[in-house]
Amino acid sequence: MSGNDRIVFEDVSKFYGEILGVNRVNLSIPPGVTSLVGPNGSGKTTLMNLMTGLVRPTRGRINVLGVSPTEPEKLFKLVGYSTQFDSFPKGLTGFQFVSSYLRIAGSDSQTADQLAWRAIERVNLTEAAGRNVGGYSKGMRQRIRLAQALCHNPKVLVLDEPMNGLDPLARAEMIALFRAAAADGCYVIISSHILHEVDALSDQVILLSNGYVVAEGAIHSVRDEIREHPAQILIRCDRPRDLAAKMMESQSTIEIKIHNDEHGLLIKTKDADRFYLALNHIALNGIQIESVAPADDDVNSVYEYLIGSDEVAR
Amino acid sequence: MMKLWWSQVKSIVRLEMKKTFFARRGLWIYILALLPLLLFIAQGFVASHERGSNTEMAAQSEKRLTSNDLRAVHPDMTTDEVIALLGKPAVRFRWNQRNQAESGEVTTIPHEDFRYSDGANTLFIDFEDGKVASLNIRQAYNLPDDSVVFAGVFQFFYLRLAIFFGCLGIFMNLFRGEILDKSLHFYFLAPVRRDVLMVGKFLAGLLATCVIFMTSELLQIIVFTGQYSPNARDLYLYQNHGLAHAAAYLGVTALACLGYGAFFLAAGMLFKNPILPAASILVWEAANPFLPALLKKFSVIYYLKSLCPVDIPTPPGTPPLLALLVSNSDPVSTPMAILGIVSVALLVLYVSSFQVRRLEINYTSE
Repeated sequence: MSGNDRIVFEDVSKFYGEILGVNRVNLSIPPGVTSLVGPNGSGKTTLMNLMTGLVRPTRGRINVLGVSPTEPEKLFKLVGYSTQFDSFPKGLTGFQFVSSYLRIAGSDSQTADQLAWRAIERVNLTEAAGRNVGGYSKGMRQRIRLAQALCHNPKVLVLDEPMNGLDPLARAEMIALFRAAAADGCYVIISSHILHEVDALSDQVILLSNGYVVAEGAIHSVRDEIREHPAQILIRCDRPRDLAAKMMESQSTIEIKIHNDEHGLLIKTKDADRFYLALNHIALNGIQIESVAPADDDVNSVYEYLIGSDEVAR
Repeated sequence: MMKLWWSQVKSIVRLEMKKTFFARRGLWIYILALLPLLLFIAQGFVASHERGSNTEMAAQSEKRLTSNDLRAVHPDMTTDEVIALLGKPAVRFRWNQRNQAESGEVTTIPHEDFRYSDGANTLFIDFEDGKVASLNIRQAYNLPDDSVVFAGVFQFFYLRLAIFFGCLGIFMNLFRGEILDKSLHFYFLAPVRRDVLMVGKFLAGLLATCVIFMTSELLQIIVFTGQYSPNARDLYLYQNHGLAHAAAYLGVTALACLGYGAFFLAAGMLFKNPILPAASILVWEAANPFLPALLKKFSVIYYLKSLCPVDIPTPPGTPPLLALLVSNSDPVSTPMAILGIVSVALLVLYVSSFQVRRLEINYTSE
């Protein structure tokens, strides 16, 4: 992929006076769903504002599919951004909010109305579209912002905490919407601190802490690179104690816990590859293995290993 | 490309106009714009009342008087001579002036006051001991004289305060107000050039201020001229350049909105607190008569003063500072003044276009 097919940050830093926003960020974001994960103040929103030109980098360069964020007239033909800012121009209905955006973008009245209705339908807000945005609930405001971001069918969707205020059903709908956009070749950049949703949604993650990118890539490959933390593997089988005895012969095994129901065990190993090889041999010797699953290659565990449990709790 | 920009500008103007005209925090601008109108309405009531009492006084007089008759009275005439000249007065009353000498002796001087009217002008005569001691003719409200008062109100209140602060309120809020409302990102997330956005917002502000202040100015002219008789009004409007003056006032109002608007739009992007730039621009404009010739040209009032149709006279005895403020010692021709103010506004907007491109959305620091 060339630089024009990616969202690229080259040595980007942003300082608000003396306060660090992000520092020395180098990223190359491919299509698909990319989640920015980190606690409050870690730099997620700053990264999003930088890639959409709402703030300018103190140092470094940003390029969104070959377009500089300093050229909004080109950038926002490609990009739709649903911000966390919860203010709207006064006196507009939901429909007017979206259609006005399209009119400012240069669409004629008829096209703007058509696109606005289509976007509002996509976020299931048709019935409330004629009401003043000022009277919307938090979830409705979130959805109308999403409609605005989606309405011109952008190639890049930047969504800052897009699930905030949504009920579980709406969350599921939105996740399906984002996945569908990613499947169509869109770049969907999502910030979130709800880690299980990130797991379900993301093709790749960018972990941030205190303005620094601490890891990036597919969640499993990020986990693989954390060598100092042993991998945890959960095995369901008919004879867990026999399996435990066999596995303890391996030098890479650090700890084994038998599950209370006597049908499973949790193994900590410092070499997952060697462990899986050994397990294949054991399985051939008559122990019935029902399932093998890594227990700690989710975002939560990775984040905990990299940044610490206090940060995750926040 | 121009077609796209123009369509974007129109969309921005549409959105902004709604906000500008119906903003609750803009109510004071309407009040400011309407204050001179209230002044002229009040003046109209007073003039009408006075005309009524003068007509009544003239009707009650023994003789039908002209203004020349009123002017024929001179000091030292006796009561009888005045009555012989003007007839018995419609209003007449006596009073005594009591003086106490150092010795304690009290003397009483009889006074008598007469009031005559020709239906328009009023003559006040005070007789002391049977002789004219003082006389005063209060001239009727007349358009040529009152047009100087109108010019004074326009130059010193309307132009320098009402339009100035009205433009401050509207143009500074175009960007600053939305930063405070945390809604400016709505525009910044659209595929529109920042300078096109700025032009759209500026035109919306200009349209709003022009509608508010030119409407008020037009109403002021209508109310001001409406209080005179049709003959006097027609004479002023069609033979004494009244129409040209009215057009000039409206033009100066529009140009003032253009000039001050450009300054305040720029200030709204540069400063968080409007008081500082407003005070600076106010001082700069007020200090214009004292500035060197070159610096004078970088102000709005310099050009506007040259375009004002009626000069305000500075009779002997006017304080020098006020005389300097009133006088236009270095006037420029009308085309040069219009060109000058448009150039200053365009220059300020050009510089602002760089600022708007650098503007960041960082609501937390506001």
